[in-house]
Amino acid sequence: MEGTSGSLNPTTDTSGIMPEFDPKTMRSSKPGLKRLFITTSVLFSFLLGVPFLWKSVEIYRSPLPFHDIDSLSDQIESTPLRFPCNFHAVFVGFRSTDADNLRSQIQDGINQLTHLSPQCGSCSFSLSVTIQNPAEQCSETLGHNPSSCSYRCGMIKSNDFGVGLDDTVDESLNDVFSGCSANSRKMYSVVVVNKENANGEDEVKAVVGKRRHAWIVGSGLEERNDDMVSRVSEIFVKMFMNGGRDEDSIHGEFMPVGSDGRIVLSFSLLNSNPRDWVYDWDFQRIDDALLAPVTKALAPIANISVESQVLYHTPKSSFSSWDEQLQSYIFRTSDLPFFVNSNEWHLDTSAGASGRSKILQFVVYIPSGSECPLLLQLPNGEISKTNGFISPMWGGVIVWNPGNCDKDSESPIRNTISPQDIEQIVEIFLGQFRQLFGFKSEAIYTSVLGTYKILPSERGFTEWELDVLSRKHTCFNLHSCSTTLSSLSKLVRSLPRMIIKDEIGEQVKYSLKAAKLAQSNASLGGYSSSASSSREARSLAENAFFHPSIMSVSYFSYEHCFAVYSPFFLPVVAHVVLAALREWKRYRQEKAKYLTWLTRKKTA
Amino acid sequence: MKILMLVMLLCYSFASSSGDTTIHTNNWAVLVCTSRFWFNYRHMANTLSLYRTVKRLGIPDERIILMLADDMACNARNEYPAQVFNNENHKLNLYGDNVEVDYRGYEVTVENFLRVLTGRHENAVPRSKRLLSDEGSHILLYMTGHGGDEFLKFQDAEELQSHDLADAVKQMKEKRRFKELMIMVDTCQAATLFNQLQSPGVLAIGSSLKGENSYSHHLDSDIGVSVVDRFTYYTLAFFERLNIYDNASLNSLFRSYDPKLLMSTAYYRTDLYQPHLVEVPVTNFFGSVMETIHTNSAYKAFSSKTSNSKINSEMPLNQLSEDDELQKANIPNDELKTEKQKCPYTQMRVDLQEKLEKLENVDTVVNLSIAVMFIVVMVSSSLL
Repeated sequence: MEGTSGSLNPTTDTSGIMPEFDPKTMRSSKPGLKRLFITTSVLFSFLLGVPFLWKSVEIYRSPLPFHDIDSLSDQIESTPLRFPCNFHAVFVGFRSTDADNLRSQIQDGINQLTHLSPQCGSCSFSLSVTIQNPAEQCSETLGHNPSSCSYRCGMIKSNDFGVGLDDTVDESLNDVFSGCSANSRKMYSVVVVNKENANGEDEVKAVVGKRRHAWIVGSGLEERNDDMVSRVSEIFVKMFMNGGRDEDSIHGEFMPVGSDGRIVLSFSLLNSNPRDWVYDWDFQRIDDALLAPVTKALAPIANISVESQVLYHTPKSSFSSWDEQLQSYIFRTSDLPFFVNSNEWHLDTSAGASGRSKILQFVVYIPSGSECPLLLQLPNGEISKTNGFISPMWGGVIVWNPGNCDKDSESPIRNTISPQDIEQIVEIFLGQFRQLFGFKSEAIYTSVLGTYKILPSERGFTEWELDVLSRKHTCFNLHSCSTTLSSLSKLVRSLPRMIIKDEIGEQVKYSLKAAKLAQSNASLGGYSSSASSSREARSLAENAFFHPSIMSVSYFSYEHCFAVYSPFFLPVVAHVVLAALREWKRYRQEKAKYLTWLTRKKTA
Repeated sequence: MKILMLVMLLCYSFASSSGDTTIHTNNWAVLVCTSRFWFNYRHMANTLSLYRTVKRLGIPDERIILMLADDMACNARNEYPAQVFNNENHKLNLYGDNVEVDYRGYEVTVENFLRVLTGRHENAVPRSKRLLSDEGSHILLYMTGHGGDEFLKFQDAEELQSHDLADAVKQMKEKRRFKELMIMVDTCQAATLFNQLQSPGVLAIGSSLKGENSYSHHLDSDIGVSVVDRFTYYTLAFFERLNIYDNASLNSLFRSYDPKLLMSTAYYRTDLYQPHLVEVPVTNFFGSVMETIHTNSAYKAFSSKTSNSKINSEMPLNQLSEDDELQKANIPNDELKTEKQKCPYTQMRVDLQEKLEKLENVDTVVNLSIAVMFIVVMVSSSLL
């Protein structure tokens, strides 16, 4: 539009009285609001829809208790878990009456042997000492808690010891101390017996029983007071606290419990060449009679299930050589890593093990006729007594030679391994099983002060060894649970658009609950209950962490969401907003025009 | 003096509890071929050759996860059906015996690969498809296919980014799924794939640097496509000279790559890997290691018993019904499910089913019930 600035049209000049009307800067009527209303209502309806859109692209995230997870991991890192243990020492046949002095001596001995800073799973102990003189009168220390199962004077007689089998002594001591097992606090006792009449023997015998007591028998022990004190403290620390091992903690490769708290023991009988002979075993009987007590004993630590198979045509992959002197085939410890022939031995065929259980393979290998008898030679030249070895976290192998190595030239008969041989094999298996859990397979402990005989239990582990296992496993499980949960919380926080299902939230909640329960049980002294709740805590934490829906590749970032939705909404929204703005500008312009017209009218 | 000893013991125990001194218990191998289609024959031949090498040196099938598209051996274009070669002399048939492929065909996806690495499978996935490594495992991860700057192409449909791989390795390290990890990549611009790695204990080698291509070794005119890549060819040549008892070091392996022969620079990254390469034998990753400990003695739990025929005395137990045997089978229980209550209707049905199973003669029962039904119908119809 060209602007005719200033000069009026001669035709409008005839209006005369009316003021000059310039349609470009003035308008005679009030501008209407309809256009503005229409455009802003469209914009407004778009804005109204934004919360609905936001809600529809919101993802469901089950609220995880991040604060609780962080506090649990801080707690476990800072204060190592300690269990209360009661130690009780009884000195029989000692003439001195100063029990408190002895107590402080033993306490010093124990403190020397334990490290200055507490390890997780160690004992916070309370020690009490009783001295019984030959006249059967007792002097006791003032214990912290005078519990109901205090030792009744005169119950142990020095004549009980040294006569008969160690098992009977163990049983009789159990009767003496059995009142304490009812309490939740476990009491460990050591009895030191000083025999008056020495039958010329000067040796000291030390035996650790199957329950929670040990005894040292000898003559002339009162003179060797320091020796006795150190032996007693050694029993308390090395046996009852550490389980017969020299180190305080068990490494991770000796904790073969799967992350769902289950172990599957898979037994395989391997007939290497069935053309020579075929052996079979009655595994049902083995399981019922010999393995069931072990499984039951370890129930708080792991849920153990047993399966077995018999395989044929399974040669080994290493070689053996004939030794003329020993009249047998020899394989050495250097061949052991190559013994298991994984190509031909199809061991991992378990149908019952789920994805996160741990399978331990126990193989009984029967050599073929061309390698019979097959013996293992140790590096120092000796022949192994067991012919067996373990591999940590895998299992164990036992080589069992058939009675006579003469090959039956006719068709091989199916033999069954005799019950006596089965017992021997199971004894070796129990030794291997103990090794896999970090204990020693032999029932003897040697130190600078002397040897201790440990009575073997038919459950595979004595009660004090089970206590050690419970304590260490509780520690390990709680530590693992807290690291898993904190990794999970870090992961979840780093992916803000990942869906977190209710199942995961529930598992985390229950896991934290079980962990707290384990900690409180531990402080009360319930070893097996804390072990089983810590196992549950770990398994629930692992289930939550390994939930299949937590895959970062399936969830996209905020930028992706924006990039997906913007082609739909951005162009339309741009147009609507621009239209509204334009209408608003136009309205203001028209309003201004109207106002100038009004002022013109007034002034005219 | 004693205090010093105690302090040293303390430090040792702290270090051991942190897992730095876990012993090496087993070896795993994850071998991934990320291509499909006939013209990518060489990638499958690469993976199968490495599979064969690793098996020959002792890693068992149960510890190998093999991911292949597996469409070469029975491809319609294959002149030699059911045979896959990695050399034009056709001396070695890689597909010959005992090849156990865990993920084949369209199962080789980025998601499945990351699930294998991180361990997040559905409950129903069998153990043979899972990477069941623990904190003492050494894992060899070999990947081959077509790649580029910070990515690797999976089956022409998707890609694996270097940050995805780094993230998966980080999660593996946090969950203590490996002690040491060796990543070997044979693609174009392979070294970029492990740019983003930051977890300790990882050693990585790639066949070419950024901007370089990795080339195939030779063309087999009989089959019509290239049959092996250069990097893998020279790796295999190194291993053919080894047997299970050797202890050549990783350093000698890495030094054996000649850039002129490879036509690219094999680049390796050791900043995250602490041990010196000269001291690490190749069997740490490529072979089998079983840490063995001799069993010193048997645990004489039964010899002290007077009744040494313990098993014979349990004879009566053996005559229990077979139902008890079934209960010994392992059925994994979901702990959360036991908390929910069983629906009374299903309980009733289960009881009924059990009762029915125990019935001896099902036919008479059925006949009897039909007769009863007939009578009821007659009676009711006559009443109406």
